[in-house]
Amino acid sequence: MNLDYLWHGFTVALTGQNLLVGLIGCFIGTLVGALPAIGPINGIALLLPIAYTMGLPAESTMILLSAIYCGAEYGGRISSILLNVPGDAGAVMTALDGYPMARQGRAGEALTLSGISSFVGGIFGSIGLARFAPVLARLAIGFGPAEYFVLMVFAFATLGSMVGSQPVKTLIGCTLGLMLATVGLDATSGAYRFTFNQPELGDGIEFVVLVIGLFSISEALVILEHQGRGFTVIRELGRMTVRAADVARCTGTMLRSSVIGFVVGVLPGTGASVSSAIAYTTEKRLSDTEDTFGKGDVRGLAAPEAANNATACGAFVPMLTLGIPGSGTTAVMLGALMLYNIQPGPMLLTERPEIVGGLVASLFIGNFLLLLLNLPLVNIFARVLTVPNWLLVPGILVLSIVGVYSTHASVFAIFLMLGIGMVGWLLRKAGFDMAPIILGFVLGHVMEINLRNALAISGGELSILFSSTICIVLWVMAAAVAVLPTMLSWRSRRLKMARATRMPAIDGAPRLD
Amino acid sequence: MSDNARTALVIGRISALCLFGLAVTYGVGGASIEYAFSSDPLGPRVVPVALALILGLLCVFYVRSPGTAEAFPSGRLLWRVLAIPLVLVFCVAVFETAGFAISIFLLTLGTGLIFGAPLGYAAAGAAGHAALWWFIFSYLLQVYLPTGTLFG
Repeated sequence: MNLDYLWHGFTVALTGQNLLVGLIGCFIGTLVGALPAIGPINGIALLLPIAYTMGLPAESTMILLSAIYCGAEYGGRISSILLNVPGDAGAVMTALDGYPMARQGRAGEALTLSGISSFVGGIFGSIGLARFAPVLARLAIGFGPAEYFVLMVFAFATLGSMVGSQPVKTLIGCTLGLMLATVGLDATSGAYRFTFNQPELGDGIEFVVLVIGLFSISEALVILEHQGRGFTVIRELGRMTVRAADVARCTGTMLRSSVIGFVVGVLPGTGASVSSAIAYTTEKRLSDTEDTFGKGDVRGLAAPEAANNATACGAFVPMLTLGIPGSGTTAVMLGALMLYNIQPGPMLLTERPEIVGGLVASLFIGNFLLLLLNLPLVNIFARVLTVPNWLLVPGILVLSIVGVYSTHASVFAIFLMLGIGMVGWLLRKAGFDMAPIILGFVLGHVMEINLRNALAISGGELSILFSSTICIVLWVMAAAVAVLPTMLSWRSRRLKMARATRMPAIDGAPRLD
Repeated sequence: MSDNARTALVIGRISALCLFGLAVTYGVGGASIEYAFSSDPLGPRVVPVALALILGLLCVFYVRSPGTAEAFPSGRLLWRVLAIPLVLVFCVAVFETAGFAISIFLLTLGTGLIFGAPLGYAAAGAAGHAALWWFIFSYLLQVYLPTGTLFG
């Protein structure tokens, strides 16, 4: 397998500027992850305009953003363990065993072990990304507009069926994102769509405006609502070392969870929250013989941490090779690439190897940096949890406003961001997730262009969408991921009912219901 | 039915209605897009109309199964939540005339107070924010920020 791009990537990632950018990204990412309010998408959204206006080259920006992403996956565990409040969605499962460990006076041990698990997951994911990205890119070279369109349908089907417990809301979110992507000048026909005679909307809704509005502004309102719920930080960390026996006990867990995390990350549209939940439940089924999970079991801590870091790396595979984000955060990073007029896809590896290679190499370097930062500096990161909201949230708001102003120099853009933020807050209250909207927005334009190109090639015949083997396979896969979860839950319901009706006959015991 | 389920049902129905309204408006708007020529068989109208149909259909499912939702704040908390966008709108409106320093001071002071900081702390925090971000953006990052008529 040709890994030349990776060696080239190391020469890019190991330059003084990119090492510094990576280190800054790792530090900021861990801080961002440690704060329960922010999370990787917010961190990236806030830093993106700054990186852009600083004039950083595309590869440095990608290194910065990926370092923030991985750093946030590391940092998310800190508030989960010390506060029982996950720093991001991927760290939800970490709290299940991390917080009980902290309450038993083993917070330092939990933080160290989760740091090691994060490292294992991150390195495993980076190896997977380095090996599989070229394979997928080679496969995707045969994709035409029709195949791309169907691939995006598959991405939305995966998202709708796998993310969260509310697929309808996920699909509505995707549709809203697709609708927002139609605003502006239609390049093919020259028609203005949904611009309401506002020249500022001629180029469509700017990505930075949408992402900062949806995530940062709405987050400020959510923080205000949730503040004062009486969270207490566990300040006694205890010893910061971990027993060799515990590491040995977790080795299998870390490796299995890394595989799960990477595979889930590669699937378009799914994210760390899904992979950490799958890894945790798998480990619980395999290992919880003494009913210790949820009560401070080290394996319950290692599983989600290894998985969510492997997922972060796996999510880059479809993003870099197919132009389809593997998670909400990579959707934002895809938008960042588009800001630089770079279209991710199978040709990116050959046309811009410094970007793909630099990013992959920086993930390897970043994971070592993160381990070095996280083990000795965990006390400093833990202190971030004590920053009061009245000081933190105004900072987020200022960054949001200046971030948008610095990229657009327009007050209209800031007002648009505020409006989007308010709508985002209303949607969040109604139980909608923001990531599908971003995914729909990022893919919307490309999806429409590919559909129209495919139909232009076929002279308007829809059969082109079913004409190749790749298309048919993708349609079948899309149908399978859309229907299978429903069928499986229907089957398990039927099995449960059948078991319930059979039970008295089997054991002869009277039914309690 | 529990309180949470009832809240989700009410919020779900209202949201579904609003989204359905959006789908209709968007669909009608999409169908009436005017264009002089088209080099592709689909044109600029079909995708918006199709998306409107999909959203409308999804709204029907949404009404049937509203999932989970969070209750809206009420009383004092509602006013505090609404005060944040008001402060933001005011500060953004005066951003170019009053300049970065003053508008950011007002914004951080206002939001600091809304988040429950004592006046002295909020004022000190606001002054710190204004100075810090001005230094970072204007001097370190060389980003143009309006100085306002008072300072300009």
